[in-house]
Amino acid sequence: MMLAPFFLLFPVLQEETPPPEVPAPAEEETTEEIVEDPEEEADEEEEEEAEEESPYLAIVGGRVHTVTRGTLPRATVLCKNGRIMKIGSRVRVPEGARVIDAKGHHVYPGLVAVNSSGVVSGSGTGIRDSFDPFSINVDLALAGGITTVQAGNAVAKLTRGSLDGLLTANGPWVTLSYTSTSPGGRRGLRASLDKARDHMRAAREHELDPDPDKGDPPSDKEVDSNHLALLRGEKTARFNASGLKDLLAVCDFLEEYPMKSVVWGGQEAWACAGRLGRTGTSLVISPRAKRQADSRLNRDSGWSIENAAILHAAGIPFAIIPKRASIDRGGIAGRDLLALAMEAAFAIRGGLPQKEALRALTMDAAGILGVSDRVGSLETGKDADIIVCDGDLFDYRTFVQWAVVNGKVVYDKATAPYFAHIRPRESQD
Amino acid sequence: MLSALLLAPVFFAPFQEDEAQAPRGRALVFRVDRIETLDGEALENAVVLVREGIIEKMGRAVVIPDRAVVHDLRGQGSVLMPPLVLGHAGFLVEDSRGFGRNSRHTASDSLWLDEDTLEDLRAEGVLLIGVDPPGSGIPGRTSVISSVSESPRPEPVIGDLHLKVTLDASTRGKDAVRDAFKNAEEAIQKESDARAAWEKARKEWEEKEKKKAEDAKKAGEDKKKGEGKKAAEGKPEDGKKGAGEEEKAPPEEFTPPEIGADLEPIVEWVQGKRVAEIWLDNAAEWLHWREVIGDREHARGIVFRHGQTTNLFEIADGVAEAGVRVDLPARMSFLPYTRLRCNLPAEFLAAGVENLTLSPASDSLTGVREWRARLAHLVAEGLDRSAALKAVTVGPAVSLGVEDRVAPLASGGKANFMVLDGDPLDPVSQVRFLVADGEVVWDRSKEEDA
Repeated sequence: MMLAPFFLLFPVLQEETPPPEVPAPAEEETTEEIVEDPEEEADEEEEEEAEEESPYLAIVGGRVHTVTRGTLPRATVLCKNGRIMKIGSRVRVPEGARVIDAKGHHVYPGLVAVNSSGVVSGSGTGIRDSFDPFSINVDLALAGGITTVQAGNAVAKLTRGSLDGLLTANGPWVTLSYTSTSPGGRRGLRASLDKARDHMRAAREHELDPDPDKGDPPSDKEVDSNHLALLRGEKTARFNASGLKDLLAVCDFLEEYPMKSVVWGGQEAWACAGRLGRTGTSLVISPRAKRQADSRLNRDSGWSIENAAILHAAGIPFAIIPKRASIDRGGIAGRDLLALAMEAAFAIRGGLPQKEALRALTMDAAGILGVSDRVGSLETGKDADIIVCDGDLFDYRTFVQWAVVNGKVVYDKATAPYFAHIRPRESQD
Repeated sequence: MLSALLLAPVFFAPFQEDEAQAPRGRALVFRVDRIETLDGEALENAVVLVREGIIEKMGRAVVIPDRAVVHDLRGQGSVLMPPLVLGHAGFLVEDSRGFGRNSRHTASDSLWLDEDTLEDLRAEGVLLIGVDPPGSGIPGRTSVISSVSESPRPEPVIGDLHLKVTLDASTRGKDAVRDAFKNAEEAIQKESDARAAWEKARKEWEEKEKKKAEDAKKAGEDKKKGEGKKAAEGKPEDGKKGAGEEEKAPPEEFTPPEIGADLEPIVEWVQGKRVAEIWLDNAAEWLHWREVIGDREHARGIVFRHGQTTNLFEIADGVAEAGVRVDLPARMSFLPYTRLRCNLPAEFLAAGVENLTLSPASDSLTGVREWRARLAHLVAEGLDRSAALKAVTVGPAVSLGVEDRVAPLASGGKANFMVLDGDPLDPVSQVRFLVADGEVVWDRSKEEDA
């Protein structure tokens, strides 16, 4: 457990550290439960015969981190038609299945990047028309363990080499500006929401008492449709708030207008975690993004490496994303999207339990994007978006060996031209 | 052949006085170290005898007639082979058009040549040139010109050839093609509806006519029976009826509804009557293209632009399977940020692409000058030599529909060839002669004297 944070003390020393034969995984001794449905064993044969043509993918013998259902020490993940069909230690692999031998490896759900730039282009459904499935950035993001990204207010899967199954969700949120520096903007937003609320009330009254004498149902012409959707809970509001003042303003706002929400930034969120937690909001944080404390204030302020740990203690779900959510070809290595897991490792360093850090990169990130029904954990019936790593995800030496999206192997370190020569592994093909 | 004869005066006027020419009826002879026929084995130490625009004889033992004009280039590694065909030249047109649909436009309308450009192309052994209309989207139709024509506004050999379609991987780019399909398919539907309506009207009218004829016959019989009794009544009645039907009579010939000049080439393309050249930048655009066309199998020419093409090896199999012809830049590709090199033409040939054109890596005169050197690099890196030579000569000739002019050399074939003073894949070797329809249209020795 403590091993990974120890290595992270000196992440820049990577090259000087002699790489051990098998990178020591940070052991997490919680084999909580075995995900195995006894009923499934029964209909296994039946299913096999019915759909013999469809190719299976079996990831065999790895340490499977399901995120939602604990960790299985030596288990097989069987995928079929792009979905996870079975997870367990006694899963029989059908004949003809493509098999990935994951012995000694760690198996995780593909990571979810709640923000990205330069991985997919375009915005909204336009992503479908401009996606480059052969782009180097797609390869590199997969090499970084990322299988789902948000870009241009759309959620896309990194379906390398194909345009099928790309778009997962469109327009998950409405960005609202509610900052301490713009009282006019705050007034305008409240006025618009009040109007939407009045409209909802009038519409409800009309619905309860549809008296023709009282006229037609109220028109929603003057009402902002996005704001209406927010109040109805159909969409999620996104706020950008890093400082305590802005965070408290957002809390005030959410108390007055309860809605699904996500707050981006949250560097001083640790100082008002209780208040934030009561609003039911989620956060997107960058544990490495620093903020100077304001010594003039008679209160907690500034950045804290414990931010994530404190938020977790307050029961706030959060996703982790590097401050620069692009794939950089310059600058300092390890600070961009390719080091998503390293960003989370800094939260672990500040006291966040390791499995919660994993959750912040998978299930909770998927929840914020509204796609947690399909991605974010390894569960039967979910999309087969899986990464196989040669060590613990939060160890800086770890490489993603295989990435699977929609049941297809889209990245194989041994054959992709980027890292194959570093601690080489023989191709299993 | 006919078109060649018609164009002959235009072609050869400037060269009539040339000493290298064989006067009418006299044979023109080239003795070279090797003939790359591009059809099976090369002929070593052989002779080509040209008379009246035709390769009369070709081989090692050819009797050279009296008074023949003989060019003896033996002993210097000289090679005689089909001339180069430039599949795609954008640098010969004025390029100021942006994105849009302008399919009525043909490339020959916007040709813009310097005085010396065509001569410079002849000096490189280029005989025929496919010219692309400028712009993107569906900017127009390609033309073919000959390097043996008058600058600056040559008459095209083929004015109206393929439809150029560029596909940007963007909603705008894909919508342009989707809309074109939609409009064309609507026009086709409109025509077939109109035809069905006309056929129905025509059939009804014919039936009526038939009935009328029968009635008339019957009436005639009645008349015969009743003699003059009902004659006064019958006549005006028949007249009335006839006049009414004449008004309604549908035309004998079906006139299809008007299709806009801009839509017509697209309709022809959708109907499979016209080849479209699809310009793509990278592997992703191939997938986007496949998605846009759906189950329509239109993509009969595929041009991969000279930009970001390195990752095309990803789709070589899919392209080969689609059976389209392919135009690639003649150069080695490097995968960015890696040290991986890729011989794309070799990959595409290995995948089974049958008609391959290799265009100059740079769309410019400099690109044409570097063309053979780049080709040599590809051959050095594993591309089949004869495939490489075909991909710059007879391959593009087929794509441009001029395979009657540039084809593998054979006795009885058109005398269109070039003679180099060394191997075509040796960057140092130069084109000594370019021969078009049996006439020398480029002679380096004349140039050097002057």
